[in-house]
Amino acid sequence: MNKEFSADQAVKQMLPFAKKAGVETVWDRFEKQQPQCGFGTLGICCRICWQGPCRIDPFGEGPSKGVCGADADTIVARNLIRGIAGGTAAHSDHGKHIALTLLEISEKKAEGYQIKDEAKLRSVADKLGLPQEGRDLYEVAGAVAEATLEDFFRKDESIHCSWFDKTLPKERVEKLEKLGVVPGNINGSIAEIMARTHIGTDADPVNLLLGGIKCALADYVGMALATDLSDAIFGTPTPVKTRANLGVIKEAAVNIAVHGHNPLLSELVCDLAAELNEEAIKAGAKDGINVVGVCCTGNEVMMRRGIPLATNFLSQELAVVTGALDAMVVDVQCIMPSLAAVKDCFHTELITTMPTCKISGATHVEFSTETAKESAGKIVKLAIEAYKRRNPAKVNLSDITQTAYAGFSTEAIVAALSAVDPNDPLKPLLDNIVNGNIRGVVLFAGCNNPNVVQDHAFTAIARELAAKNVLMLATGCGAGAFAKAGLMTPEATEAYAGDTLKAVLTAIGEAAGLSGPLPLILHMGSCVDNTRAVAVATALANKIGVDLDKLPVAASAPECMSEKAMAIGTWAVSLGLPTHLGVVPQILGSELVTKVLTEGVKDLTGGYFFVETEPKAAAAKLLGAIETRRAGLGI
Amino acid sequence: MSDQKENYFIYADPQKCLGCKSCELACGLVHAETDLFTAVLEGYKIRPRNRVVQAENVKVPLQCRQCEDAPCAQVCPSGAIGQRDGMVFLNRDLCIGCKSCAMVCPYGAIRVRSEAQGKGDGRIKRAKALKCDLCVEANGGIDGEACACVKACPTKAIALVDYEDLIQRSMEARAKEIAAVASGREK
Ligand code: SF4
Ligand code: SF4
Ligand code: SF4
Ligand code: SF4
Repeated sequence: MNKEFSADQAVKQMLPFAKKAGVETVWDRFEKQQPQCGFGTLGICCRICWQGPCRIDPFGEGPSKGVCGADADTIVARNLIRGIAGGTAAHSDHGKHIALTLLEISEKKAEGYQIKDEAKLRSVADKLGLPQEGRDLYEVAGAVAEATLEDFFRKDESIHCSWFDKTLPKERVEKLEKLGVVPGNINGSIAEIMARTHIGTDADPVNLLLGGIKCALADYVGMALATDLSDAIFGTPTPVKTRANLGVIKEAAVNIAVHGHNPLLSELVCDLAAELNEEAIKAGAKDGINVVGVCCTGNEVMMRRGIPLATNFLSQELAVVTGALDAMVVDVQCIMPSLAAVKDCFHTELITTMPTCKISGATHVEFSTETAKESAGKIVKLAIEAYKRRNPAKVNLSDITQTAYAGFSTEAIVAALSAVDPNDPLKPLLDNIVNGNIRGVVLFAGCNNPNVVQDHAFTAIARELAAKNVLMLATGCGAGAFAKAGLMTPEATEAYAGDTLKAVLTAIGEAAGLSGPLPLILHMGSCVDNTRAVAVATALANKIGVDLDKLPVAASAPECMSEKAMAIGTWAVSLGLPTHLGVVPQILGSELVTKVLTEGVKDLTGGYFFVETEPKAAAAKLLGAIETRRAGLGI
Repeated sequence: MSDQKENYFIYADPQKCLGCKSCELACGLVHAETDLFTAVLEGYKIRPRNRVVQAENVKVPLQCRQCEDAPCAQVCPSGAIGQRDGMVFLNRDLCIGCKSCAMVCPYGAIRVRSEAQGKGDGRIKRAKALKCDLCVEANGGIDGEACACVKACPTKAIALVDYEDLIQRSMEARAKEIAAVASGREK
């Protein structure tokens, strides 16, 4: 193996086993796809109607228009915003599922679920301006659920989504309203993209991009509500110490990986695993049941329960290659269909659970709110049965894990800061930003992508920024990368943080009773939880009375790939953040679209995209963006 | 010249070609000595030596066949084209852009185009003949696996053909068939 695929030590350890077992991995398939089509890479292939497919010659010799007359600008813009709509649909379907469950809880129909964090529910009700006097918890839950669902289905689309207006600085809302991009309801925003990109509809690239911004902001709404309502139902995360990487899969346990995105499934699997632990021991697994996480549902249960994280997106197949994974339970998003073929080489049970996400070759156990407990029980029992079939000759355990601290919700960060200043919790953070001890804040988000050495860009950029005293937050598979690399620990703070950042993280950590510094990078959750970072930024912005685009805050998605990442990146830019992409987006076929997204949009929202595939240069540019903002604030 | 090998040439199987034009992009980029993103961002002109054409339902890239009695070599007034090391070699330094070769090529595989970025000096346009060079410059010789179009084709429609090798293989395959039939009869 002379080419480097991953910076993850456990992946390097496991790939030869995959090869030996005849398992084809994502890297093998990526290799076979080379070279990938230049037209698609540039975004200038259109398959919207059956007159096509049409391709534009990027070098101006061949066709400059599709059959219908659409040019490169129109085609690139249409393709991009369809991706944004896909991401928005994925996130908000997840959010809708949570909101509907809250409604069912309020009607006492969802056995297995309850409201674990009443204070969070009440604070959400306050935020949405819902009266609570004389209402019991269930009535409040019902009102919150109804108001939230209204953001999906509102008839009068001229009324803003409540979760939009109530969670962002006033100035930002007004700015976006002037651009005509505030969503009135989520479903309508997605449908609008599909309608306007139909053949022969919107052909103006700038108008199309504005439509994309509106849909991306609907994505923000879907994510914000998914996060907060999940907290109400399952509890708001608080700091927790756990472990990450493939070594968390244990020989003497029934190992169940929860993979996908929605805590509705993974939480119940954890509950039932605890209930059925004895059965596993009876079956011969002396350590009982060991639930581990993969991808974002892994982040969800990691933050709330300290469930160890097995791995992130790109290496999901390798969890099966350990030969000791008895079941992989999946719900939606980022689940490689290849898992079905990988598990065929082992004893692992692959279990799909959602009517909208089936994989042929997998066992399907349908999951619905009413029968959640029953289904979760069935899943755990399938895992115990599979354990009995485990073939010791095929076990390739990894010994690699790292300590990781997770669970830094907005509330948890504020709580840690209150230990320093109970009367004005944000003050210590703000003071340190103003005095330059913390130069700024970078939020890492997004996926892995085999175009990039797995986890390398994340960790390389973070080490650079740490030395330059930048406070870092992370979500999604980026958080997974840092957790696996041991960068979410106090030790990493000691090792990599610049002096002033170290001093601040130590002061807060010690005040909060951690007897040491806060971790170098704060784990804020799954990819749907990126809105937690916006909540922190909004609180800071409100406190000093400026809009988000003035803050020394930037976002970075060094290894992005999914449509969800396209949506998140676009709303980050729309909210005013300089946003780094470490993978070249499929838009270069249109100079105009590229210019608008990297330059022109600055004048509209204050945010912009920049692309940099080299980690050191990316870190320098992120730092540059932060310093420009500091100069703007005169600090 | 009796010990000289017949020329290699690029052949694409029309049964396998889907008309994606990946081979065109790859050919243009390898000769521009750049990658796709740079070429697009810098606004380079790329000049593929091949072109995907369609006739009826058949799609296939066409490029120089490296003819044995090459009409282009016959007509070139400046001696820019001739046989060399298993191919028809075009010496672009000698080319004056007269287009004679392009006119006589039965495959339409030669184009006279400028590769210069910019406008020239007003006297000459710097347009010169372009044709498939089997990527010899990029690869330092003839290497079928390394030809840009061969590498780029997702359906493996394109191959560098070693004519003698092909004939040999065809003969062996037929001989095997005959042998199989013959041994069947014996039983
Ligand atoms: S919408 Fe236009 S560009 Fe797209 S496939 Fe149809 S004709 Fe071609
Ligand atoms: S790359 Fe292959 S399939 Fe595509 S046009 Fe060329 S020969 Fe045909
Ligand atoms: S265009 Fe160039 S190579 Fe072709 S015949 Fe004229 S001089 Fe010769
Ligand atoms: S062999 Fe090289 S020069 Fe000839 S068509 Fe293919 S890529 Fe172009």
